[in-house]
Amino acid sequence: MNETWLAIELPHLALDLLTRGQPPGRDLPLAVSDGGTQRPLIHDANPAARRLGVRPGMAVSAARGLAGALQAPERDPAAEARALERLAAWSHQYSSLVSLHTAQNTLLLESGGSERLLGESGALARRLATELLELGYHARTGTGPTPEAARLAARRGLELPTRQALESALRDLPLEALLLAEDQREALERMGFRRVREVLRLPRKALARRLGTDLVSYLDRLTGARPDPQRRWRLPESWAGGLDLPAEVASAQGLVFPLRRLLGELCGALRACDRGVQALAFRFVLREGETRLDLGLQQPSRDEAHLLQLLKERLERFRLPSPARRLELEAGTFLAFDAAPAGLFPDPGDPASNPVAPLLERLRARLGDEAVTGLRGVEDHRPEYSWARRGLDEPARCQPLPHRPVWLFPQPKRCRIEDYRVLAGPERIESGWWDGHDCRRDYFVVRDRDGATLWAYHEHKPRPGWYLQGLFG
Amino acid sequence: MPTGHARLDRALPGGGWPLGALSELLVARDGVGELSLLLPALARVAGEGGWAVFVDPPWTPYPPAIHGQGMDLSRLLVVRTRDAKESLWACEQALRGVRGGVVLSWLRGQRHQADFTHLRRLQLAARSGRKGAFLFRAAGVAGQATPAALRLHLDADERALRLTVLKARGARPGLELRLPRQHGEVAAGPETRLPEHGGARPGAGHPGDEARSLPRTGHA
Repeated sequence: MNETWLAIELPHLALDLLTRGQPPGRDLPLAVSDGGTQRPLIHDANPAARRLGVRPGMAVSAARGLAGALQAPERDPAAEARALERLAAWSHQYSSLVSLHTAQNTLLLESGGSERLLGESGALARRLATELLELGYHARTGTGPTPEAARLAARRGLELPTRQALESALRDLPLEALLLAEDQREALERMGFRRVREVLRLPRKALARRLGTDLVSYLDRLTGARPDPQRRWRLPESWAGGLDLPAEVASAQGLVFPLRRLLGELCGALRACDRGVQALAFRFVLREGETRLDLGLQQPSRDEAHLLQLLKERLERFRLPSPARRLELEAGTFLAFDAAPAGLFPDPGDPASNPVAPLLERLRARLGDEAVTGLRGVEDHRPEYSWARRGLDEPARCQPLPHRPVWLFPQPKRCRIEDYRVLAGPERIESGWWDGHDCRRDYFVVRDRDGATLWAYHEHKPRPGWYLQGLFG
Repeated sequence: MPTGHARLDRALPGGGWPLGALSELLVARDGVGELSLLLPALARVAGEGGWAVFVDPPWTPYPPAIHGQGMDLSRLLVVRTRDAKESLWACEQALRGVRGGVVLSWLRGQRHQADFTHLRRLQLAARSGRKGAFLFRAAGVAGQATPAALRLHLDADERALRLTVLKARGARPGLELRLPRQHGEVAAGPETRLPEHGGARPGAGHPGDEARSLPRTGHA
């Protein structure tokens, strides 16, 4: 059986619930705390707080000593569980089998069935990670032939879509790649094992006798020697979500950004169950009291851009009596949705509504679906991840950036900076702290000997050196 | 179709880029400034709801920069083909497909040599679709006959993109314009005009135009 599993792990979920109300670029130091009121400890901190020295495990009082204005509200496990359920609903648009593992902050998707629609599962994994980032969640994704292999892949930032890929990865991985309990790993280390392959080579019976059946069961589920049935998570027929604003928002316009993230989650869930909504109820918790805004539609919709447009128009005439601290959105009854099915790269529906549709259809029929795409921006500081191909039913949103080249190379290319003349820079770009693609770079505008103007960067980590990434032209 | 560069508009017959006809831009090398030169026109087309179709661009058009220069990304389509035949076909389909809008084609596999009858087909397609149609070709083809209404040579130096009109229906060839560049991209704004050089063929002076040192996507 050729299954492919896709794991989505949300290692920073508690923090995400706090930071996702904050537009990118507004980088307040934020943290969440844990451990009760006696001596609360920092559970997780965002990059702005980490730059000031705040670290998980530190006492909140000590963290405040480092970052005076640090907000560190206590994490809310119930809210985290609700967020995971909303994300399970959202991710159902990509798979008919979604399984929810609340204790591990992990979703497992059986993605084999979606491959036909979505291309290879590695591409799907990356796409899910970028879409989640747009919703404000820092996800690690990975694929594997078994659920445990997918989880391991997500943890290591790998794509192991086949058994062969898994086998060859397991030959090289160190012991700590296995998702074991601390005591199990230590026991193996004491026995002198350093690599996964050494453990897999051991007779299972002896291993079970010395380290318990849990470990053996895990290894068998990882390699597929033992089935690992996943409990199917059922889509609900209603939706409610909320988010806390990290800083009070005084103007109704300032609510557009966080509301867009809530709408994005809702519309994903609606696509997943092929439904639309005709009524949306917004509730704003204010410094003093609360206020409501109700949005009614002519017909059921799940079009994020459309809903956002309506909402923006309403917010233009909406005054907040006092600054908002929290937003809540409740969707009305889920209704049948009659519009033409909108796939990722949609059937070009009504030619009158989209004049490019017949052309698109002709081009795709001969060249293949992948050959004809739109483009969109992605909220990621790393240039190679800050764009994506766009299906024509997806919004083409993009944050315009100054001093960016019009051409981006498919892969950054190593270069010798001595061969170039620096025209401008540096611009520091730092990102990827959550998914293992951690990087720090300084960007420069440089000119080569032929007069071409290029975008070069000096990477401090993970691969120190000079690279060319784009061309001004 | 206004180019977004006042001096260039004045230099071109019809006061801008030709509509319903081919324009050939012969580039000394890819990335000389050809895309930023066209972006003001593309932004205007997209702003009016028209589509811009890129056929076989050499690299990825980078959304934050394209959008940063005022172009609505929701009106951009990128088409990738596998060979010269498909590339021509896709370009012709795009030219005939939607009325109005713009097609930019980097003509996979035919930048140095293209059949006149093929170009003629594209010219007819551009006319039937009332399109702005831009073909990016190698500077070396300057000597070959073309059905295009406009043929420009583009080259750049330290400070400016140099445009030379090699052919313009209804105007005298040989005109040269300099559009100032900032960080390698053409800045919209006032530009300076050089004294005319009667009918110079700058294309002949660039034998090394294949010697690109930059990574490219799949182009032969």
